[in-house]
Amino acid sequence: MKKILLVISLCFILTGCGNYAELDKLAIVTGVAIDKDGDDYEISYLVANSPKGQTSSKEGEAKTTVYSGTGETIPDAAMIIEQKSPKKIYLGHVNVVIISEEIAKDGFFKVADWLFRNPEARKQFYLLLAKDEKAKNIIKIISPLESFPSQSIATLLESNRDSISASTTTTYNNFVGYVLEQGADPIVPTITIKGDVKEGSDQSNIETTEPIAYLALGPLAIFKEDKLVGYVKAKESELINLIQNKIKEIKYTLNYNDDDITIDSYNLKTKLSLKDEWHVNLTITGTGNIYNINSDIDISDPKEIRKIEKKWNKSLQKSLKKLIKKMQNEYKSDIFGFGNKIYSTYPQKWNQVKDEWNDKYFKQVKVTINSNLKIPDTGSLKDTLTEARK
Amino acid sequence: MEKIDKNVREVTRKIKKLYGESPDLNTRIIDIQGQKIGCLFFESSSQTSTISDFIIKAVDYTKDNIFDDLFESLKNNMFNSQVIIIDDFSQFPYFLSSGFTIIVVDKCDKAIVMETRAQLDRGVTESTTEPILRGSKDSFTESHSKNLGLLRKRIKDPNLWFSELKIGRRTQTRISIAYMNDIADKKTVDEITKKLKKINIDGILDSGNLIDYLTQNKSSFPQFQSTERPDIVCQALLDGKIVIIVENCPFTIILPTVFIDYFHTSEDQYQKSVNISFTRVLKIFAFLITLFTPAIYIAITTFDQNTVPDKLLISLAVQREGVPFPTAFEIILLMTIFEILRESDIRSPSGMSAAMSIVGALVLGQAAVDAGIVSPITVIVVAITSICSMIFTDIDFINGIRAWRFIFIIAASFLGLIGVLSASLILLIKLASLENYKTSYLSPFAPFNLKAQKDAIVRFSISHIFKRPKYISEKNQTRQRRSS
Repeated sequence: MKKILLVISLCFILTGCGNYAELDKLAIVTGVAIDKDGDDYEISYLVANSPKGQTSSKEGEAKTTVYSGTGETIPDAAMIIEQKSPKKIYLGHVNVVIISEEIAKDGFFKVADWLFRNPEARKQFYLLLAKDEKAKNIIKIISPLESFPSQSIATLLESNRDSISASTTTTYNNFVGYVLEQGADPIVPTITIKGDVKEGSDQSNIETTEPIAYLALGPLAIFKEDKLVGYVKAKESELINLIQNKIKEIKYTLNYNDDDITIDSYNLKTKLSLKDEWHVNLTITGTGNIYNINSDIDISDPKEIRKIEKKWNKSLQKSLKKLIKKMQNEYKSDIFGFGNKIYSTYPQKWNQVKDEWNDKYFKQVKVTINSNLKIPDTGSLKDTLTEARK
Repeated sequence: MEKIDKNVREVTRKIKKLYGESPDLNTRIIDIQGQKIGCLFFESSSQTSTISDFIIKAVDYTKDNIFDDLFESLKNNMFNSQVIIIDDFSQFPYFLSSGFTIIVVDKCDKAIVMETRAQLDRGVTESTTEPILRGSKDSFTESHSKNLGLLRKRIKDPNLWFSELKIGRRTQTRISIAYMNDIADKKTVDEITKKLKKINIDGILDSGNLIDYLTQNKSSFPQFQSTERPDIVCQALLDGKIVIIVENCPFTIILPTVFIDYFHTSEDQYQKSVNISFTRVLKIFAFLITLFTPAIYIAITTFDQNTVPDKLLISLAVQREGVPFPTAFEIILLMTIFEILRESDIRSPSGMSAAMSIVGALVLGQAAVDAGIVSPITVIVVAITSICSMIFTDIDFINGIRAWRFIFIIAASFLGLIGVLSASLILLIKLASLENYKTSYLSPFAPFNLKAQKDAIVRFSISHIFKRPKYISEKNQTRQRRSS
């Protein structure tokens, strides 16, 4: 009996997180938007569990509410929301954090500490950048397919990451990891609103057959350290993913004899290695199928296929080079992690250059791209349709 | 020891006085050549046709065929399988009440006792408390000899021994301790006999009366198995366990019992082993669900919201909207109502059960949710909990789970998941420290016995089980001989 008493008393003494909170007394925040309002910060919380009006609880239907507060500092703004909300703000289930362009340009770390330090908050939420729009407006848009906005953003991100090679997801942890890592910079997906914001945040948005406003993912945002430096187009994002070895499949369109040929490539693999201290070697291997072809090339002829193959290799190398040049000279952001590779291979050398890496040394890195891409198959059509007509 | 009076009239007078001139006591005095014979029996507990057929006829026959002694002649002429000679008057009430007929003869201090028992029990019927899909359907009855017979006809080995005791000053209840002489641990048999002999109570009416004498621990989990199925008892006997059969009670007690036994049924032996293993795993899941669900629900909704997936948490939060009580209270309220419902359903006559289920299902489920007194998820939690507890047949085990479920709920409502964890540690410690008749309650897991694992959670094919469980008896281990 004494032992049992001891065990029970230890529970009281040794536990730190015994804060009791009844579920209906919590305002469960699933989305956070951070904007800048002049010099002040504006934070908006998307509260997921607010049964508006006469909604019967048994339907399990959640309506969302957005609370926002403005203050000189982030804690000030957060305090304003606490005062507005009748329930206790609970940040344990934050799904997405959306920051505005201004915040991103200013440096995300200025606002990040508060969320990172909060013991309640999980660090696995997605980080997004609101492009051409206030971040607050993004979390207000109600999607017809998901019951609450933050969830629809997360679903949108995840499905895009899985199906479209141009997209990526960055969790808060990833972002901070990239920034703190030696010689690496983060990229963050952007999100924007298509359509009318005001009507899109109304419940009627989900009642129409075609939503008046909806969310769409935009280009990827390139960060240098924690500051936004620019955007890349969808095609370029694909290549970034390719270099980072994040994707296995790309649909690549190349120009061949003034016709467009799209190749559906798979099993793509990228290897980053160092030839010497300042020379990066990129090796890309993979295979592809003809996906779409609009010309009268005789693709049943293996020679033609070899030619297309060659052209594909060349074209891809060219675009990669162009992209890397752009990063080196224009954005000065090492999103590919070249610096990290140098750091892990030549740590002493790295120590000499790390302070000026982004601005001075990154652009001096020479990049050689080798590619070994093969087309073993022509898809399920033997000839092109144009040729078959003849 | 009280001598039997040599005067028949004196004996009948004494008996009548003893029973307060009870009207069902029949005393008949027959005169044979000047010598009186007295027949004593209870009309209520004896078969009168048997008495007329055998005793009166025998007396009539003896009338003309006395050789030397009337008593000896009578004794030899009794055409009955069970004839006992007694010389102790104090044994009269026991035999009379049991439905025997006593014949006393003038000038003789001995009496002839003959079995003329009336059939005061129902026949061998199907078991209603432990229904099965496959297997023998007979079950024990209230008749002691029938119960022993049901065992005897299954195990024909002479090593099936019954040792009998009579307990209860007034009821004089026959209690048989059945065991396989060459398998069961003799020390355990002696210990049980010793414990039973110590009992000095006025009456034993059911095997349940003996439980408290036989298992001394205060744990809410039972340490005995109670069954009315002879095939389960025989299986237990063959395992080396000891069975206690009480007169007038169809439920037998099997000792010693370990924790995992409550997850086994007799059908386990009759069905395909692969499927049975699956069923047993399912039962273990059900055990965990019924024990932990309400506690974990309380813990994750009031303390550890972080552990719940987003969508589920929001769904739970919206459901709880408008419910006036704290979650823990809500759960305890509903669980209590369910327990009351269960208890009243068992006790109520069958005609009332329809009304009860309507009230239970509609009023307490649907209407309580609609009225906003409880949240729908609570009803689901309580429903899952109670369904899962119904998978067990032993009522004492179900009640043991219930007691601990409430302990878990209380722990969870004060400390969250940490409370649940520490309560389960305490439960584990308590179960592991239980021991009855030198068998650890958590055998064969703690202490671990590799060979016994063949029939613990998973069941191997019977053709692969060669040994009896060692933790029950170490004697005569071979169950099956390898065929050469």
